[in-house]
Amino acid sequence: MSAVMTLTKEIATEKENEKDALFRTSPVLEIKNLSISLYEDKGGEEHRLVKKLNLSIRPGEMLGLAGESGSGKSLTASAILGLLPKSLSVSEGQILIRGQDLLNLSEKEMGHLRGKEIAYIFQNYQDSFTPFIKIGRQLVEALRSHDKISKPEAKKQALLWLERVKLPAEQIFSSYPHQLSGGQLQRASLAAALMFEPVLIIADEPTTALDVLTGEKVLDLLAGLQKELNCAVLLVSHDLKHVLKRTDSMAVMYGGQIVEKGATKSLRENPRHPYTKLLLKARPILRYTALEKFAAIPGEPGLIAKEGCTFALRCPLSFEQCYMVPAMQPAGRFQWTACQAVDREKVDTNA
Amino acid sequence: MLEVKNVSKSYRSNTVLTDVSFHLEQGECLGLIGESGSGKSTIAKLILALDRSDSGQIIVNNVDFSQLKGRELRKARRHVQVVFQDPSASLNPKLPVWKSVIEPLENYPEASPSFLKEVRNEKRKMAEILFEKAGLQSGLLDRYPHQLSGGQRQRVAIARGISLQPNLLIFDEPTSNLDVSIQAQILNLLKDLKSEINMSYLFISHDIATVQYISERIAVLKEGRLVDLFKTKDLFSADRHPYTKELIDAALE
Ligand SMILES: Nc1ncnc2c1ncn2[C@@H]1O[C@H](COP(=O)(O)OP(=O)(O)O)[C@@H](O)[C@H]1O
Ligand code: SF4
Ligand SMILES: [Mg+2]
Repeated sequence: MSAVMTLTKEIATEKENEKDALFRTSPVLEIKNLSISLYEDKGGEEHRLVKKLNLSIRPGEMLGLAGESGSGKSLTASAILGLLPKSLSVSEGQILIRGQDLLNLSEKEMGHLRGKEIAYIFQNYQDSFTPFIKIGRQLVEALRSHDKISKPEAKKQALLWLERVKLPAEQIFSSYPHQLSGGQLQRASLAAALMFEPVLIIADEPTTALDVLTGEKVLDLLAGLQKELNCAVLLVSHDLKHVLKRTDSMAVMYGGQIVEKGATKSLRENPRHPYTKLLLKARPILRYTALEKFAAIPGEPGLIAKEGCTFALRCPLSFEQCYMVPAMQPAGRFQWTACQAVDREKVDTNA
Repeated sequence: MLEVKNVSKSYRSNTVLTDVSFHLEQGECLGLIGESGSGKSTIAKLILALDRSDSGQIIVNNVDFSQLKGRELRKARRHVQVVFQDPSASLNPKLPVWKSVIEPLENYPEASPSFLKEVRNEKRKMAEILFEKAGLQSGLLDRYPHQLSGGQRQRVAIARGISLQPNLLIFDEPTSNLDVSIQAQILNLLKDLKSEINMSYLFISHDIATVQYISERIAVLKEGRLVDLFKTKDLFSADRHPYTKELIDAALE
């Protein structure tokens, strides 16, 4: 090898290393100013279902997306995967994976990324596998469609992953999806999601359809394997319990907007947004002495203010200014809160 | 007022309940927890006399339901009502909801709930009072089920459930499909109603925290067997069954 070639190669590796170091510290996923809209017909009225959303996740970080139904959690997750329903579209913003904007990718490029670099598990674990085809065959085919490996090698990897999700590997490998219990199927889909060692896993309500104990075990597995792979996880759940118990950081959504985000510990101990506060108080949690009464949140999740703070119609603290656009206000180093009252330091901690 | 004595039930070769016994005092709420398939809903079905047990007795107000047939059974049934997880199960999609609410009163003209005494036979007025009790605005009386939110529909099902002032109201996962904020509203409502109307509740749920909030005692069902039964205040006692402890652990954050 000539000296020049060696030198060029060295420079290239150095650059690679630099890039690697950058990836390790910089976010895997960065969503900037993302809006998702529904257009009535071509050129018709625009309904913004997700509004100016910003968030980022670093390697090894688990971020929880919380909020009641219809708040836009699943739409956000689908947008990252490039799986938005046809009637909806991203109307502004960027979705960056390691700095690359997914919205600029072709369907084909996106298809290659999805399932490999960005993996996902959903609430409907039944849909993760095609019925009437054995689990093993589906895993082998998936592996071979992304990587050029031999059948025996793919089988070896598939079995290994089934073991890693604590399933009886050989038996599951030669089973049909319908022969598995819900918990087993969700574990198998976790294996299918993780076997490419993705940089990001999207888990949308992964335990909602499972029993409590089964669901806890699936999340234990997810947390354990995430540590081993050092990947980023977006955990979408309407159940604050999972988000509080499992995640490093969290974002609370209401009416398509993030109303508060930050370190999970910080939000749990010192929630500032009225909605976060009320959600924390309204949910049933085990206590040494049971509560007499829950703090009620007036109204229903469908009540969304069109302008300004989306929560204004239900907020016990709302005032005129709330119907203007609320800015994301820094509320300490680890927390951001979109609330006019926080801004004015009007939020009473007992609200 | 309710006694379930050594009840067993199988469907074909599948044993669903094995020798289940518990009782319920007048005005008490007993929570029944267990994972899916543990037999919770089968117990509800048997108490509602929608199905018969293979052995054992179900005694409501000193009457053994398992011995009753035909008209006698129909009469006795009025004292036990149910609210399901999915309110659509008890609401006719083709009727305005106020009609669904008073339907049980039409089926059992002999029933005379104390809170409806003043308005006997004035159907719409009865519906109005039931709506108010369930925290529904009278403006919703003429709506059809699909025009209501999930929380509103569940309130309608509750209004219907209390319409006969039953001795026992069974709830089968009544808040499992609801958002947290609505769930809290409904649980608060159920607590208020129980003391106001003096009913007993059998509250079935997979969520131990919800059950802790609403019940005075808790029964734990595992694979068709009652493995634990205790006062709610003893939930954290060392005497709990290992399975109960597992459920508690999973619920703690
Ligand atoms: N395909 C669709 N067409 C029109 N509106 C939709 C579609 N999917 C979701 N929405 C609306 O977008 C909002 C956010 O939905 P979603 O992301 O599913 O909420 P979440 O996951 O937080 O429950 C809701 O108001 C929902 O009705
Ligand atoms: S901005 Fe106003 S309405 Fe919104 S949460 Fe804050 S106080 Fe309430
Ligand atoms: Mg969702």
